[in-house]
This record gives sequence, structure tokens and C-alpha cells, in this order.
Amino acid sequence: MQTFEPEAIDWPDTAGALRDRVRGVLADHGPLDPVLRANSWTKPDPEFSRRLGEADLLGMTWPREYGGHEASQLERYVVIEELLAAGAPVGAHWIADRQSGPLILRYGDEAMKRRWVPAIARGEAFACIGLSEPSSGSDLASVRTSARREGEGWVLNGQKVWTTGAHVAHFMIALVRTEPGSERQRGLSQFLVPMDTPGISVKPIIDLTGAHEFNEVFFENVGLSPDALLGTEGDGWAQATAELSLERSGPERYLSSMVLLLELIRVAGDDAGPSVRELAGRLAAEAWTLRLMSASVAAKLARGEDASLEATIVKDLGNSYEQAIPELVHRTVAMDLDGPDVLSMVTAYLLQVSPSFSLRGGTREIIRGIIARGLGLR
Amino acid sequence: MSDTRRMLAEMADPLFAELGFEADDARDWARVEDLGLPLLLLSEEDGGFGGNWQDALTVFRLAGYHALGPSLPEAIVAKVASQGSDAHFQLMAFARTAQIAGALDAALRLSVDYANERQQFGRPLGKFQAVQQSLATFACEAAAANCAAVGAAQALDRGDAAFEIAAAKLRANQAVGVGTRVAHQVHGAIGFTQEYSLHHLTRRLWQWRSDFGHDAYWSGVLGKSVIERGADNFWPDLVARTD
Repeated sequence: MQTFEPEAIDWPDTAGALRDRVRGVLADHGPLDPVLRANSWTKPDPEFSRRLGEADLLGMTWPREYGGHEASQLERYVVIEELLAAGAPVGAHWIADRQSGPLILRYGDEAMKRRWVPAIARGEAFACIGLSEPSSGSDLASVRTSARREGEGWVLNGQKVWTTGAHVAHFMIALVRTEPGSERQRGLSQFLVPMDTPGISVKPIIDLTGAHEFNEVFFENVGLSPDALLGTEGDGWAQATAELSLERSGPERYLSSMVLLLELIRVAGDDAGPSVRELAGRLAAEAWTLRLMSASVAAKLARGEDASLEATIVKDLGNSYEQAIPELVHRTVAMDLDGPDVLSMVTAYLLQVSPSFSLRGGTREIIRGIIARGLGLR
Repeated sequence: MSDTRRMLAEMADPLFAELGFEADDARDWARVEDLGLPLLLLSEEDGGFGGNWQDALTVFRLAGYHALGPSLPEAIVAKVASQGSDAHFQLMAFARTAQIAGALDAALRLSVDYANERQQFGRPLGKFQAVQQSLATFACEAAAANCAAVGAAQALDRGDAAFEIAAAKLRANQAVGVGTRVAHQVHGAIGFTQEYSLHHLTRRLWQWRSDFGHDAYWSGVLGKSVIERGADNFWPDLVARTD
């Protein structure tokens, strides 16, 4: 039984040069706050995103015609893993570059592509994803936010919640019910909703660390043009779940705590005891393995193959890893969580945010349910 | 998979399946030799198969999958590294990694099949979420061990693979703990019998975990090397191995 066909990855020849370009942008940007380097893909910095755009490091795989650079998926992979390992503040553009841009290129009409895709590639247009609702968390198919035809266009009503980056995003890709009375996965469609459309209000939700990353988003008679519909009416479920392979397998699913492994190595020094040495070794081995697994999904997706099962496996292992790092470091190294040293500060921060790692993008239980289905158990 | 490897797999798989855990060196070695498998890594000029380490992975993994008894991996490695050398220890650690990867896949298949057959409370075990979640965890571990084995084989074919072998053996070792625990739990009492075949896999898996470097050994080796190189080299070193 093989659920994950491992493959020898054909890494691009350009990898070294691409890493140098990323390191150049980072050097120009200046030193990063050591705590904010953790979980950096939720940290928006629009100015940094624009710099990446100027350096041709966004929209890398997209057609030149739409502002892209026609690089390969693995070339893009090299760039994003390099950014994440450095703890770069990539939160502003992350979702747009990862999945919204590709979705618009695939399903959008010409006007929509021209309006949004080049702006995403310049690091000037940011996206958020409208999936969860107050009564639709893990049970996503129960969404109730609706779009009704009115005249030529659509009218949107309802509410989304836990929407990361809604307060910096220029548009949302929303999954909503277009067929009144439809049940579950049927009758759903995806819409591109510009966030400055009248009738939309965004209300912050402050997380337990005091940070503002996610939001509630309300739609009150939001009028949308006919071409706001993305893809096919009624195919929203299939379109949204296809997008999840992009969302679940990337290096952000295992690198959120990498900065803490680096700090552990930094403080360990030559006189490290066996418990610290073995912990560093074990975390290094897992990082190496997860990197290969995550890249191998990127290679599979690049060939246009279905990698949804592999992507969920990478997410489950990766989230468990990035969640275990603060726990294991906390267990092994004596520290004062209120202390001023970087190791203590990063551990304290990651202990607080790491519960979210196995919630965002599909809970651990939902993810394992999908793996079980892949095994033929459901 | 390359054509060579597909051919190797098609050749080895039926024989290994037939011999299985009952294979006996004294009785069956000639049949393994007939396929030329012990000479897998020798060059064609030396009368060998001219295989690389990714080819060897295919054979080692299948040997593990079928819980093969004869010392085929040892024989293959003995042709390219002398017993007692550091190289021999490393290469055997790689072989065990691949055997573990194969045996975990076999134990996963047995466990999934059993969970789909065995009925309790009027439905198959596999319909219970608790059982599904355990088996999903097992599948993740088996996948990690297999990917680690491929990564190590690819590194061996590139050249120096000291880091990759250490990381892969350690990762596979850890997968043994989770995999054997779930496999036995899902099987219940029948998996604990001599009659049922699961123990041929799980007892070998436990043995292979401690062969050629247990967890603490390899994590100590890796930890020492990454700490010596320092925090700022960790990531550049990791990616330089594939760039």
C-alpha cells in the first residue's frame, strides 16, 4: 500500500541563483524582528510584498502576458521556502500568490485577469479567502452566505469569519450558496468580491497573543457585477476543494517554527548536553524529510496530477512538527518565558500561536478523515 | 520510476512474495542469485547489474515489504563496502531504512484490509472514526519513511550522503514506533497470534530499528553536526544538498 508515491525530485539548476535573489531582497529590507520571524506567513508587510514584486519574485509561474515570469513550479518552491526559512513577512501577498492568482487565471474572464493578476504579481493586490462562517467551521458544506441573481448581476448577503487578512486584502474569493434551498456541496459557487464594494464591513478578531490577523466579514446587500462569478455556477465545492492542494502542501505547513530550531542550535553551543543535541538532531531529520515531501507534492502538482491525498499527508505531518517544536524545546531547555533572550521570547510566542497550526487550513481531525478516505476506510 | 527499476521490481517482487518470511538462506539463496540480485551494485564490466542506489532501494524496500528472511541487503552491500568500515555501517543503515519503509507499507496494507473486513457493532472497524484517525497517522508515518528512503538513495547517487542517511534512518526508526503500535492495536488479539502474519513484519521492524544506529545514536550524530555548523548554516546547508 502506498499512499504517497515518493519521487526523486528534479531540483532546478537555477535554484542557487534564485536563493541569492531572495537573500538580496531580504538584505535590502534590513534585519527582521526575531519573534516576528516565527509564523511569518501570517505577518503582512505590503512594502515588502511590493519589493518582492519588483524583484520578479511574485506570480512566478504565471504567463508573462499577465505579469508573471513563466518560471517552473519548483523554481517558485525554491523562492517561497527561502522566504519562509528566513522568516520574511510575506503575509500580505501570500494567499493571492499561492492560490487566488492561479484560480483567477484558470476561471476568470479576460477583464478579471487583466484587472487583478498583474497587480498581484507586482505585490499590490492582496487576497483573502471566504470559507468559514459562524455555523460552518469544519463542516464547510453547510455555508449559508448567499448570492442571488438580481438584474444582470448578483446580490450577496451573509457573513464569513476567521478570515485572515481581510483587513489588508483588496478582494476576497468567497464560497457562497447560489441555488436557494440547495443542500450541502450542491448549489455552491465561487465569487471574486472586491473588498471596497459597498455593503461589506470588516470587524477585527484579536487573537490570544493580542494580534489582529483574522476578522469577521459581513455582507449586506452587496451588489456584484455578472462577471464576479468565478468559474461555473454550482461548481464551487469542486473548485474550492481543488484549490486546497495548493493550500495544504506548501513549505508554510512545516516551517512556521523553523526560527525556534535555529535559536535552539544557536544557544546549544559546543557544550550542549545530550538531550539538546538529540533534540536538534531529531528536528533536523524531520525538517529534511518534510522538505522532500512538500517539494514532491509541488512536483506532482506541476505535472497537473492530483495530489490532494499527498497534500493532506504533508499538512498533517508538517503541522504536527511545527507544533511540536515549541513543546519539545520548552520541555528540554530551562527558560523563563518572560525572559528577554531570543530563545525564550520565540518559545513563548510559538507556544501561544502553535495551537492554530492544526486548526487553520482544515483541522487535524478533518485532515486525518481525508487521509482515511484515501486509504479506502470510509 | 525508471525502466530499470520497474524491471527490477517486476523481477524481484514475485520471488520475494513467494519466499516471504519463510525464506531460508540455505534453501533459497540460489534462486536469489539466479536473478543476479546480490551483484546489483557491481558495474557491468565486473559482471554485475550496474545498478545505482535508487535501484538498490527498490530491492531493499521489496525485501522489507515481504518480510524477507535471507540476508540479501547484506550481500548486496558487502559487494561495495567491507564489513566493519564506516561506509559499510552507513550503507547498511540505508538498507535498513528502505526495509523499514517497505515493511511499514505492508503492515499498513494488512491493517487497512483487516479494518475493512472485521465487523463489530454491526459495521467494519474502518467505519469508526477513532480507528480511521489511528490508521491515518500510520499512513503519514509510512509515507515519511518512504520519502526519507528515496531522499537518502538520491543523495547516495549524488555522492556524500552522510547527513541524508542519518536523517533517513532516524526518521524511519521513529515511524516504526507509531506504525507497529497502530498495526497491533487495529488488529486486536488476532494480530498477537503466531498464526497471523503481522508479527513477521512487526518483529522485523523492531529489530531493524535498532540495527545500524538506534534513534538516540543518529539523533546524537545529526545534532552534533548541525550544532557544530551553527544556526546560520543550518538552512543553507540543507538546501545546498539538493541545489
